[in-house]
Amino acid sequence: MTITPGNHNGITTQLGDQGLGQQPWWVEQWMELINGYRFKKRLERAWAYAREGNVLSIRFEGRRVHARVQGSGEDPYKVKLWLDVLSDDDWGYVLEALGQKARWSAQLLAGVMPQDIERAFAASGRRLFPFKLQEVRSECTCPDKINPCKHVSAVYYLMGERFSEDPFVLFQLRGRTRAQLLSDLAVQRRALLAKKASEAKAARKADGDGAPLPSAADGLHNPTPVAIRDPNRWWRYDAALDPGLVVITPAMEGDTGLDEAGPLPLAEDGRFPEAPRQFVEHLRSQGAGFSTAAMATAMAAGSNQEQPNDSNG
Amino acid sequence: MSLLHATWLPVVPAGSFAKGKAPTAGLLIWADTWRVADPVGPVLEAPLHPLSLDLDTLATWLDDNTFWSEDLRQASATLTLPSRQQGVRGQKSEATDGWSGMPLQAGEPLPKDLSWWPWQVEGWFLKPGPAADWLNLLPLSGYAEAGLGDDLHWWSHVQRWCLSLIARGRWLPDAAGGKASWLPLLNREDDRRRLEELALRMPQVVAAASADRHLACGRPRSNRLLVASIVEKLVDGQLRAAFAPGGQGLDPLLAAWDEALGDPGGRLALDEEDQERLAIASHHWRETVAGKVAPARACLELFTPPEGEELWELRFGLQAEADPSLRVPAGMVWAAGDGDLALGEIQVEQPGALLLEGLGRALLAFEPIERGLDTATPEAMQLTPAEAFVLVRTAASRLRDVGVGVILPASLSGGLASRLGLAITAELPEKSRGFTLGETLEWRWEFMIGGVTLNLRDLEKLSAKRSPLVQHKGAWIELRPLDLKNAEKFCAAEPPFSLDDALRITGNEGETLQRLPVHAFTAGPRLQAVLEQYHQQKAPDPLPAPPGFAGQLRPYQERGLGWLAFLHRFDQGACLADDMGLGKTIQLLAFLQHLKAEEELKRPVLLVAPTSVLTNWKREAAAFTPDLVVNEHYGPRRPSSPDALKKALKGVDLVLTSYGLMQRDSEILDTLDWQGVVIDEAQAIKNHNAKQSMAARDLGRPGKGPRFRIALTGTPVENRVSELWALMDFLNPKVLGDEPFFRQRYRLPIERYGDMSSLRDLKGRVGPFILRRLKTDKSIITDLPEKVELSEWVGLAPEQRKLYNKTVEDSLDAIARAPLGQKHGQVLALLTRLKQICNHPALALKQDPDPNDAGFFKDFAARSAKVQRLEEILEEVMEAGDRALLFTQFAEWGHLLKAHLEHRWRQEVPFLYGNTSKTERQAMVDRFQEDPRGPQLFLLSLKAGGVGLNLTRASHVFHIDRWWNPAVENQATDRAYRIGQQNRVMVHKFITSGSVEERIDRMIKEKSKLAADIVGSGEEWLGGLDIGQLKDLVTLSED
Repeated sequence: MTITPGNHNGITTQLGDQGLGQQPWWVEQWMELINGYRFKKRLERAWAYAREGNVLSIRFEGRRVHARVQGSGEDPYKVKLWLDVLSDDDWGYVLEALGQKARWSAQLLAGVMPQDIERAFAASGRRLFPFKLQEVRSECTCPDKINPCKHVSAVYYLMGERFSEDPFVLFQLRGRTRAQLLSDLAVQRRALLAKKASEAKAARKADGDGAPLPSAADGLHNPTPVAIRDPNRWWRYDAALDPGLVVITPAMEGDTGLDEAGPLPLAEDGRFPEAPRQFVEHLRSQGAGFSTAAMATAMAAGSNQEQPNDSNG
Repeated sequence: MSLLHATWLPVVPAGSFAKGKAPTAGLLIWADTWRVADPVGPVLEAPLHPLSLDLDTLATWLDDNTFWSEDLRQASATLTLPSRQQGVRGQKSEATDGWSGMPLQAGEPLPKDLSWWPWQVEGWFLKPGPAADWLNLLPLSGYAEAGLGDDLHWWSHVQRWCLSLIARGRWLPDAAGGKASWLPLLNREDDRRRLEELALRMPQVVAAASADRHLACGRPRSNRLLVASIVEKLVDGQLRAAFAPGGQGLDPLLAAWDEALGDPGGRLALDEEDQERLAIASHHWRETVAGKVAPARACLELFTPPEGEELWELRFGLQAEADPSLRVPAGMVWAAGDGDLALGEIQVEQPGALLLEGLGRALLAFEPIERGLDTATPEAMQLTPAEAFVLVRTAASRLRDVGVGVILPASLSGGLASRLGLAITAELPEKSRGFTLGETLEWRWEFMIGGVTLNLRDLEKLSAKRSPLVQHKGAWIELRPLDLKNAEKFCAAEPPFSLDDALRITGNEGETLQRLPVHAFTAGPRLQAVLEQYHQQKAPDPLPAPPGFAGQLRPYQERGLGWLAFLHRFDQGACLADDMGLGKTIQLLAFLQHLKAEEELKRPVLLVAPTSVLTNWKREAAAFTPDLVVNEHYGPRRPSSPDALKKALKGVDLVLTSYGLMQRDSEILDTLDWQGVVIDEAQAIKNHNAKQSMAARDLGRPGKGPRFRIALTGTPVENRVSELWALMDFLNPKVLGDEPFFRQRYRLPIERYGDMSSLRDLKGRVGPFILRRLKTDKSIITDLPEKVELSEWVGLAPEQRKLYNKTVEDSLDAIARAPLGQKHGQVLALLTRLKQICNHPALALKQDPDPNDAGFFKDFAARSAKVQRLEEILEEVMEAGDRALLFTQFAEWGHLLKAHLEHRWRQEVPFLYGNTSKTERQAMVDRFQEDPRGPQLFLLSLKAGGVGLNLTRASHVFHIDRWWNPAVENQATDRAYRIGQQNRVMVHKFITSGSVEERIDRMIKEKSKLAADIVGSGEEWLGGLDIGQLKDLVTLSED
């Protein structure tokens, strides 16, 4: 996105005065943090700033957030935000704690931010979320001596929404991307499993039960070998059409991919209210057209081969 | 004939598009054909596929067959194909340094030395979007006949799946890597199975251009990822082309995405930062809906509570996608640690992460699991009864939809078995023979749910517990709100139970009685015997050849006879559809003789057959069943009034007539009280609207007394859906319902969409009435000799008969008057001419039509009874995909017949005779032996083709005319019947009955002194015949 200075070209907030509405818990927590700030007046101004689009860009670069905010001057101010990064040792504790509950890994792998993730961080005496706003370090190129200035505060607001797009940026701010975290978790889990496996082996030995490790094939029937080795599969294909594909049908009510995925997790631009919803709506209406066309195509298939037996009576 | 193929190219071939365009995957369409080609010697680069069609020929073919598309672009690719190692001609094998050989073609026999070798193939390329459109052009069936490879059939199924995904909206847009694209969602249970099946059955040629050498070389490895990526590209191509950007009120980010989704290149006009933002958002959006394509998935297995306890156990594990019965418990997954895990043959990488991810997804669909994931390596958890019920009732299908397998206890596993149904025990009443359909049986019944039986009192008690999951007789079952009411209703109805019900219930799955599904059916021993025979689970007891039958029955023929007699007792029509050469005629005659011997044959039986086989019937009946009185309703002197017919048929057992006369004389024939009607070559009534079919059907209806119906055919009737109805309408009218119902219920689903479940149901319905054995059946092979000789008796068409009589008349006089020196020559000329007349008048009259004279060949078959019969048999040969050699002693006849057969089947029929050059000969033989799609018929002259050649691909040999010397015929037969022959050889010898051909045949058989002379001295002896002997030899006998 190219950004030109100006009051009406920046990023605005979807968070109106009405409050938070249905937000993921981590966004709520972030907003609570901001609203707990003592200087209410400044917050209000920052809110207005955010709503009016003065924040031109927000970028997550490594462990820092870089933003540009149009202030009263000609050039936008540059804002930097960051959290205290966890040390490798601390991360080690966090990982160990995360490994204690399969659910944490399971949810992270499935793209869900666990609600009680803080408990894993508590193990190392640290937090994922800053406890107080003061823990959010910031810098702004504006002349205002007070930190956080209104430019920084405006960025606070918008960050909340960014968390809804990708909750895992919080990890990034603490020093690990989601990918790093998952791979670290995997390494740690493997170490843990390897230890368990060898313990189990030792236990069996101690029992004097020399049985070999159970293998996956034990007690299960083997399927026929993969058909590719079969020369018949080099050229031949004689499967009948899947009965479910004989007649091509539309989705049941509310069962398309779009229905299942729900709202698009993309922060709204204040100047384009409801853009994500509109985008999905457009996809949905186009999708209905795709569906009708696909059914018509499927219906037409093979109709030119219908044998003329019917007519020559 | 060439065969079209389609191979997936992972990247765009070099030079086929303007530079600077983004490379894209797509479909390469190419074809191979059979031609004589030298093996390719060792070269540095992949050699050009020597059997592939060049671009122009391919383009013409595509255009001719309505497969041309403006989007096709020239392209070439290197395909790794199975190849035959073969030395280059003219080079000693030691001299060749490196590999030399030929690519294999579909259907070719496998050589011993097989290697996978790269070949350069030219073809036409389509990008994914146009490729999908092109695939939509493919037919639903009939691939081989249309010159389309099986791989295209696979492609058409892939595209049909894509259409289904699009129709069901199973897609989401993506924005990864700076590109907008459409991603199909393959997470649903059905779609997972489809991916698995298409991957498992993918013809290797599809992946022949793969950059992955394992895939390209057909080594065992899953094709799952390849097929998933193909579907991804095809769906993307179709949606991209169909999408109209223009969403209203979009911010710049979404506007760019919207725009790029409809753009062929898909590039997102955004800076890197925004691209990244979109990529993350789209990923996050999709990730909770669909996971990755992996060989295994997490599964949850529910166990019922131990006796006396309340809590259910839910165990975690992994399950192979390819075979859901392959499972490992979570404990084993955790124990695998860092290593791979093997589920049978399937290797799973990082099984721990896979299981965890699946459990994370499971949490979204079934919350109680959260409790079970509090430890580091959970293996199982406990569920309250309420939670277990939620899992059984609703969560299981949601879990499956997010890609998590669920295994429920058998009694709760859903489907019909877990519903309220019946368990029935029945037996024939003491005195019954079990042959009347409406007959009431003695029976008992109980209710059954989930495999356990219960009575109404049990149901009342269980319902009173007001719990959806209850335990009964040790099993957990699910009671539904209406179950008790339905059970009470059934008890109040007290329905009777007939033999008809028993047949119905045991014949088809999912049958109901008074709306309740029948879960279990136990028949008493006597009923069981009847049912088994009826359903062909057990063949009816074989019947030995009846007294008075002059011949022997092979064991399978005794079984066929037993079967005919069995259905006869039930008053059910029977269709005996044995393969050609297995002796349908003999079985039918034995059946009639059986009736006669049992003194059950009291009224005449009408047998309708094509005119060309009437002679054969007469001959066979005279030979095998001399006791049967046979009468022909044929010719100008046939009875022309009901009374005359009645009189003529007094004491007659079997009446033969033709289809034509059956229709013409239907009013007269209808007046007789036939005991049975048999139709031979029953495909003649395939068209249910034709007058012929209706006349046959009317004749089959009972008259004053019962009337049995039997149809004989050598064609695979059960596969010809459209013809089945007419056949069953003749045999057993009620089985398939009326025609409109049949068309809606069976014909359209099966013929248009290849619906297997309808086909299975149809086959189940008609199965009891059709008996078809193949020469290749194991039980038949042991009964049949390697070489089966069949005499095909034919008559003469009117024109032939006239010409024959006139020739004999004219010539005998002339020969009698001829001087001694010329007599021999004239006798020879006469015999030659008569044999030619038996073949075809045109041959004897030396007619020499232009091979393209369509009008001449239109009437060609009608002029010769022999040609008609030949065509009928060849029809079955072609249908079965077999190959045949046709021998004649007349070169002129070879040319005529070649032209006629080529008109008739629109395929090339090579003719090898004296004037064929040596190179041509070799080419014909090679092509017949090697080309997978080569000609099915091969004409040879007895002299030129009778020796030396190896033609083992043929499994039928036809001797169209007879030669004096059986050794010469046998030698010709041995072209096919020799080492290398893998099938049984059927030898068909045509004999025109009453003519000189029959005398020759008799002489050969009787091994008379005359015959010995013949064998010894060719045709020299003919000169020594006196006029009397000659007259006996040639005059047409009229029996």
